Amino acid sequence: MTDQTANTLDEFRRDALLSHGELWLRYFELGGMSSALEVEAFLYEALEPSPHDRDLIAHALNERFVELGGNHPVPYAEDLRV
Amino acid sequence: MNSHGVTPLDAPLARFGVAASFEGDLALLGLRGEIDASSARVLGAFVEALAASGYPSVVLDIAELESLDAAGLAVVASAAGTLVGAGGGLTIRSSSTDVARVLDITWLSDLIGIELSPGRNHLGPEQERRLSAPPPGLGQAGSAEDPMTVTAIPTNEDVVDSALGLVVALARATVGGADGASVTLRRHGRLATVAASDQTILDMDADQYATGEGPCVDAAIEGRWFHAESLEAEPRWPAFTPKARALGISAILSSPLLVRDRPVGALNMYSRTATAFEIEDQKLAGVFATEASNVLAAAGVDIADDQLAGRFRLALRTREIIAEAQGVIMEREDIGDKEAFDVLRRSSGLSGKPLREEARDVIGSTHRPDSGTEIRSPERHHD
Repeated sequence: MTDQTANTLDEFRRDALLSHGELWLRYFELGGMSSALEVEAFLYEALEPSPHDRDLIAHALNERFVELGGNHPVPYAEDLRV
Repeated sequence: MNSHGVTPLDAPLARFGVAASFEGDLALLGLRGEIDASSARVLGAFVEALAASGYPSVVLDIAELESLDAAGLAVVASAAGTLVGAGGGLTIRSSSTDVARVLDITWLSDLIGIELSPGRNHLGPEQERRLSAPPPGLGQAGSAEDPMTVTAIPTNEDVVDSALGLVVALARATVGGADGASVTLRRHGRLATVAASDQTILDMDADQYATGEGPCVDAAIEGRWFHAESLEAEPRWPAFTPKARALGISAILSSPLLVRDRPVGALNMYSRTATAFEIEDQKLAGVFATEASNVLAAAGVDIADDQLAGRFRLALRTREIIAEAQGVIMEREDIGDKEAFDVLRRSSGLSGKPLREEARDVIGSTHRPDSGTEIRSPERHHD
């Protein structure tokens, strides 16, 4: 539980105007193997995703932001390592 | 290279494969290799996605499965629970009596239907027929002689259509000013008229689908109510309106049909008289639209899921393309599958192209033929 001001994945999801189901489908499309429930738990930070899962979710969100005319605001696992 | 993550997806998946196909309302998953803890997660995700996409009746063909361990059994049990909860069920198709015995010894055979492939079939001809074509009527449970069968039987579209036909006839007879009525449903990804009071109405609906505009199209897609009080002064549907007027129609009232809050179609009332539909008629049309929605919800036919199912199929194909591209990169650069994904992800980030496009480019560079909807683990490319 770090006290960061950074957005949670779920906040990014809401900004990206994606339902949990649609985000999971996009994650699955990229090769993700966790269930929709697990992904939801990652978003709410109830479970910690593996770095690979984190990247899959981050990329699914980033592609969505590009569709909406934005850039890649969601950090990947390597960006979070200090 | 050992990962500290929670999703081990390296070695054990190497020999596991899932091939998805669809037969009417049934989803068939053909499994290959071994189901263990890792591959079980993939399978769990598939089944969950199928249930969410409107395919709650799933057949697992395990003829080519090499082994099914405790983790595999657990996921099969949980999948069966998910599917039964979604109004469907899970049937296992196997040529081996051993699997049937394992499921029977555990409590699982209470939950899961089992089918033996032809040749060793002792379940009778009904179960065989069930898989090749939908049965003629609404489902009856397995008979007393075959207690192992608990598969849900898909609802017959004809039954739904005749119920909707009744709603249309009642609406046409009771809504003041109505000269015709119809029900539009989204089926197999397209709008179609499933009940209409006469041929003119059928033609009018067809004109709306052909031009892609009109109150019934808008109501069915947007899930809102659309009322063209007088087509003479109607600016919203310029391609469709002249066709409707040529057929003698002057007013149209389309009410959305909603199942679980999602638009699945519309109830359309047509009149030859402009401003024929008064407030009371509009309310009555709304009541019939609710009735028709209830018919659809009660039948468990979530037609809007057609779209979702299409989206899911697309996701499966994209997933396969990405996995295949990962395989190519792994072979080329002698790296693992996660690193191969990172390669794709970075080029996607640099180019601004979606990762699936990058994956297509990678595959295109090898001229590898597309292989349908089979999903393979990237490791197979090392075979």
